[in-house]
Amino acid sequence: MRGSHDVLLAARGLAWEAGGRRILGPVDLDVLPGECLAVVGPNGAGKTTLLRLLTGLLRPVAGELAYRGRPFAALSRRALARHIAYVPQIRPARVPLTVEEVVLLGRYPHLSAFQMAPRGDDFAAVDKALSLVGIEELRGRPVDELSGGERQAVFIAAALAQESELLVLDEPTIHLDARHQSDLAGLLVRLKADSGRTVVLATHDLNLASLLGDRLLGLSGGKVLAVGTPAEIVRPDLLERLFRARFEIVRGGARPVTMLELAP
Amino acid sequence: MSPPRGPRPRLTLALLLLLAVATVVVAPLVGTQRISLAEVLHGDPSAGAIFWQLRLPRVLLALLAGAGLAVSGLGFQTLFRNDLAEPYTLGIASGAALGAVIALRLDVAESLLGLPLIAPASFAGALGATALVVGLAVRRQGSTSTLLLAGIAVSLSCSAIILFLQFLSDSTQTFRMVRWMMGGLAVVGYGEVLWVLPWVLGGTVVLLLLRWDLNLLLTGEELAASRGVDLVRLRWKVLVVTSLMIGSLVAVAGPIGFVGLMVPHILRRWVGYDHLYLAPACVLGGGAFLVLCDLAARTLMSPAELPVGVLTALLGGPFFLWLLILRRR
Repeated sequence: MRGSHDVLLAARGLAWEAGGRRILGPVDLDVLPGECLAVVGPNGAGKTTLLRLLTGLLRPVAGELAYRGRPFAALSRRALARHIAYVPQIRPARVPLTVEEVVLLGRYPHLSAFQMAPRGDDFAAVDKALSLVGIEELRGRPVDELSGGERQAVFIAAALAQESELLVLDEPTIHLDARHQSDLAGLLVRLKADSGRTVVLATHDLNLASLLGDRLLGLSGGKVLAVGTPAEIVRPDLLERLFRARFEIVRGGARPVTMLELAP
Repeated sequence: MSPPRGPRPRLTLALLLLLAVATVVVAPLVGTQRISLAEVLHGDPSAGAIFWQLRLPRVLLALLAGAGLAVSGLGFQTLFRNDLAEPYTLGIASGAALGAVIALRLDVAESLLGLPLIAPASFAGALGATALVVGLAVRRQGSTSTLLLAGIAVSLSCSAIILFLQFLSDSTQTFRMVRWMMGGLAVVGYGEVLWVLPWVLGGTVVLLLLRWDLNLLLTGEELAASRGVDLVRLRWKVLVVTSLMIGSLVAVAGPIGFVGLMVPHILRRWVGYDHLYLAPACVLGGGAFLVLCDLAARTLMSPAELPVGVLTALLGGPFFLWLLILRRR
């Protein structure tokens, strides 16, 4: 049994319903400080719902959530945002701001309404986030003129400027080409190594999850099928139950690599 | 108009301030009887009376009305993430018109707070329509599309009741109803100006205090919520503040359309989307714009006066056709 100080984010009996139908749960889950937890599962498994519950965007119909032992109910939206940053999968088609403006808005939970301008530490956080993601040269560009990969980088930089302990990403690589996927994976690994940031990400890309995740959580039909290291989760029998598709494990070991098999 | 390289918010704000001051000084000098600034300053009694009592109050009302309409238009457009939304989209003007039409139908001559009863009646109509729209939308979890649909429904219902009331009225009453709905800024003295001032000023200040929230809303509702914005409360604040502004304006000037659409739309090109600059730019630009419109409305067909609402509507339609034709994407 772990003490509450060892757990960053704890969920107990977490459930969500829509239109009287159970979408998720009950889910019990601990996010440990400094780890990368990858939520894997097929479309409609409830991955996004789980992330939205964990970030406080949805209020669960049942169950409890606590951040470092403090229940979500005791935290304001802004206070929660100082602890948890979220990079949603769906964003508006047009964002009529420059890169720097978007990243600066990541400082929102630290800004006060009566503040005329952001302070020095706000700009320092923006500079740091831009350089971590490696997009300093895009600073003054309108976001609408950027490619899909560059845009994703901008929104990740904005989440980093939020300077929260926990970073939650929903399908961060979904529209990215191979180079941008590897850039992003490199960035997440560096974040963990340099600043000990905790990462929760949802993906249906098993290889990305296996590459980045310290632990994998297999979600299917709104229920947790299994939690464990990549080697424990990326197994043909488990994957077939999870995705209802057959996989070949191309390379075993601690970070196994899979290949999808054709349906017979 | 060639598109600028990039927005120049500070420069544009300075130019807009100059423009607003210039229009307020010059517009009262122009009219059926032309007067000069020298006459006014040297204390010529008839020029002074025309300047201070007849024309300046009207110009100041136009300035405040234009400012309030433009800045509420901006608030609505950001809230609904749609550059074509404006206060009237949510049925606020229709509610106000219904209030005014009921007052005209009842033919009451009493006044309240120094204004003819038609003013508080339309103010109440504007707030009633907003409350109905927001109430409807909140019951359905308050998404912006529900709000827009509820606004259209309320708007159509109010128009239907207005038509019915016009059918029941005699021709004099009907004429006054139609004339009211054309909007106009013909006032004498400073009563209306002082009535509108606190609403417009207060509303603008509140929107300025919400500038981070509004800017964040431009990046999407989900992202805004994840950064700590309470979306439901933000919607409430913006709706209440803008409907108080619009309600107070419609109450004294009737519905004046398209200013809330055109002014923010034009200014975004020069100022950018940051509400810290865009909101004050809308105040100055919208004010100057309506002063100029009103100047044109009272001089173009002189000695007859064109209702300023008719003029802005005549400008607004072609403006949008022109935008559609020029739109690159």
